[in-house]
Amino acid sequence: MITSNYRTSLKPVWCSGCGNFSLLTALTKRVLPGLGIPRHQALMVSGIGCSSRMPAYIDTYGINSLHGRAIVIAQGAKLAKPALTVIAIGGDGDFFSIGAGHLPHAVRKNIDITCIMVNNFVYALTKGQTSPTTPHLERGEGPFLSWQFYPPVDPMLDMISYSVSTRASFIAQGIATDPPHLAWLIEEGIKHRGFSFISVLTPCAIFDPLELFKTIKKKASYLTDGQPVELPDSSKEKPWNHDPGNIRLALRLAQSPVLEKPHLGVFFRGKEKSH
Amino acid sequence: MTIGIVGGGGDGVIVLGSLLQRLTASQGYFSQMPRYYGPQIRGGASAIKLSLDAECLSLPEDSADIIVCFNWGKYQELANELSLGADTLLLYDSEPPREINLPGKSFLVGFSKKSQKVTGSTLNKNIVALGLLIRILALPEDKVNKTIEESEELVLLRKNMPAIEAGKHLFYEFPFPEPRLSPPRDYFPKVILHGNTAIARAAVRVSCQAFFGYPITPAAEIMQEMQEELSRRGGIFIQAEDEIASTGMSIGASLVGVESMTATSGPGLDLMTEMIGLASAAEIPMVIVDVQRCGPSTGIPSRSEQSDLNHAIYGGHGDAPRVVIAPCDIEGCYRLTIESINIAQYFQTPVILLSDQWLGQTLVATNSEFLKKDYPRVKIKKAAKEDFEHYRRYRLTEDFLSPMAVVGDEGLVYQTSGLTHNEAGAPASDFETHQKLHEKRWKKLLPLRQRDELVKILGEQKQRTGIITWGSSAQIVLEIVQDVGLQQQVKVCVPELLHPLPHSVESFLGSLDKLLVIEMSYSGQFYRYLRSQVDLPEKTEVYCRAGGRPFTKKELTGPIMEIVK
Repeated sequence: MITSNYRTSLKPVWCSGCGNFSLLTALTKRVLPGLGIPRHQALMVSGIGCSSRMPAYIDTYGINSLHGRAIVIAQGAKLAKPALTVIAIGGDGDFFSIGAGHLPHAVRKNIDITCIMVNNFVYALTKGQTSPTTPHLERGEGPFLSWQFYPPVDPMLDMISYSVSTRASFIAQGIATDPPHLAWLIEEGIKHRGFSFISVLTPCAIFDPLELFKTIKKKASYLTDGQPVELPDSSKEKPWNHDPGNIRLALRLAQSPVLEKPHLGVFFRGKEKSH
Repeated sequence: MTIGIVGGGGDGVIVLGSLLQRLTASQGYFSQMPRYYGPQIRGGASAIKLSLDAECLSLPEDSADIIVCFNWGKYQELANELSLGADTLLLYDSEPPREINLPGKSFLVGFSKKSQKVTGSTLNKNIVALGLLIRILALPEDKVNKTIEESEELVLLRKNMPAIEAGKHLFYEFPFPEPRLSPPRDYFPKVILHGNTAIARAAVRVSCQAFFGYPITPAAEIMQEMQEELSRRGGIFIQAEDEIASTGMSIGASLVGVESMTATSGPGLDLMTEMIGLASAAEIPMVIVDVQRCGPSTGIPSRSEQSDLNHAIYGGHGDAPRVVIAPCDIEGCYRLTIESINIAQYFQTPVILLSDQWLGQTLVATNSEFLKKDYPRVKIKKAAKEDFEHYRRYRLTEDFLSPMAVVGDEGLVYQTSGLTHNEAGAPASDFETHQKLHEKRWKKLLPLRQRDELVKILGEQKQRTGIITWGSSAQIVLEIVQDVGLQQQVKVCVPELLHPLPHSVESFLGSLDKLLVIEMSYSGQFYRYLRSQVDLPEKTEVYCRAGGRPFTKKELTGPIMEIVK
């Protein structure tokens, strides 16, 4: 049943150094063959943006749909044909700005789709505008300013704390520079019966200041079940042992600002729901 | 015969109207019962008009033969819809304000007083009124009683027999005029439903297995009905977070080969617009029911208008072809829902079914044949053997329709996009591909222009004077032409398929010296649409106005008489 080649013949439009390549590799080289999902039984639904070009490069069924709307199309498809593996792919602007209104309802409905948010902290396809996740610092205060435009005036929206507070039934965060780990997280998300939210910290080689992803990589720490969690330097809390089955611990974990302590791993794994 | 009932919240106006409709329908009477109501959730003005007919479906007359008034304040709010004629038999509950000119046959019946006396509460005044109306209309009482005993819908009425009896006795306390309701042509019980129900029932009757909706006046009944029907049949029902989501989910279901539907009204259609563009571009079947209400913006949610036509035909950016269909009566609501699903599937296109508040919420008692008839089903073009070699989702064919694989089909995997794409579905950004795919999407719909059966043309073919109208406005136009006896002098065209415009509409318009266009849109959207498509006769008159009040016979008779002069 397993087809090893899940890549279409199309050449990606992404820039060299783009984090989207890692996700494409994780999906086509590891997740899909690893889980043995037949090509015709998977559907990739994306929105609009750099990462949303993904479905054209994956040789399963796919639709590159509308800005912000991948989740709703994915839910309709999954409901109508539950045997399918349905994955929604989009960027930070896609899922957390224009399409943000759909997220809490996808969480409530808890339909078994896997939502992969590629967070590159910027609107890259339109060339460098601030997104809801662009780090907010006063002008001149820090290194994380967008290169082309004015710095953001609004604080950033933290996708992990948002997902935890709405109690998505599976919440994880991976990083584009570690495709095997990312692939494992996505596999866990697909296997989880319910709405899975996976954030992927991703560099934009063109519009992110280099310093941004360097900082993230440097400060990132992996979550391991039963092992003490690392906390930001500013935290006065005592580290606790990681337990992804505990939403209260997930809520505490989600307080870590992503630039101070990006956690990588499964934040929360709720009860599975049978529909 | 037209009976009007008016009151405030808690007076049981709708209940009384519905009971009377059910009892008369069980005796074989046809009827239509439009509702008139305001913005209040509870306690606002509420009225119905019931047009009882022994022979066929007809519209309520401008002034009712009988009016039951429970509340004068509320009556005054709806006086335009329930005008008192010189011959109106008026039955009222309390002393009227001075400024009301009572017709000759007016009776202070005191329904509340009677209800209080017999049942200990004024709440049953509508049931008392029902008893009196049964007598005034001289309905056969043994049969009516049998219906009350046997009908599931009338369980509550059975507990209210004392109030009914008290109402019947009122008949002898006043010198009411003789009844004028003729006996029904046949005694076959009539089925009662409104356009919203008809649409939902048609959808589940064929293969609609999923409904995604969002509550909106005056389309919410479709969603409620679908929820009930689909949960009984193990289908999929979702009340989405907004109309963007409902349409998106519908697209998702279509992609995997499950026929689905959504329903909304004007503001919801606005939100659906981007999805309509996607469905048009990526050739995904989709059916949207738009139960039109007054716009723009929030407008008057509870009142009918025909002003979403432009949006239905043109709404959205880019050149995005779609099909627009409009029923003009209850039978059309049912038949054209099936037609819409067929067309969406066969042509892989979004279809917008334009109903309106009048069609959607007017309860109709009629023969049930159209609910039982067989309707042909058309399915999507499936992949042929040669497609399995190297499937191209948008393969150019002679009829511009490409076989559509659905997600889950083995050996036919494809990727699609709202981006301009090539025959394989892969993104493209060159002029040639863009032009070619536009051509495909527009030309595939052209055979629809041959669908003569989706255009109603009534009257003498050789006539050179004509009227064209659409949707619920057609009902009153056709009735006036008949009432005034103009069948020999004017022909009437009612296109059910509005876009693409059928050839038969073009030839109808081409055969005329004089034309009258009638529509309920302030800016004359239908007239302007026709003008953009075909040459209209030099002498073309337009009667168009805003919605908010149904057309009256008095209002339209003038312009119609004028055109035949």
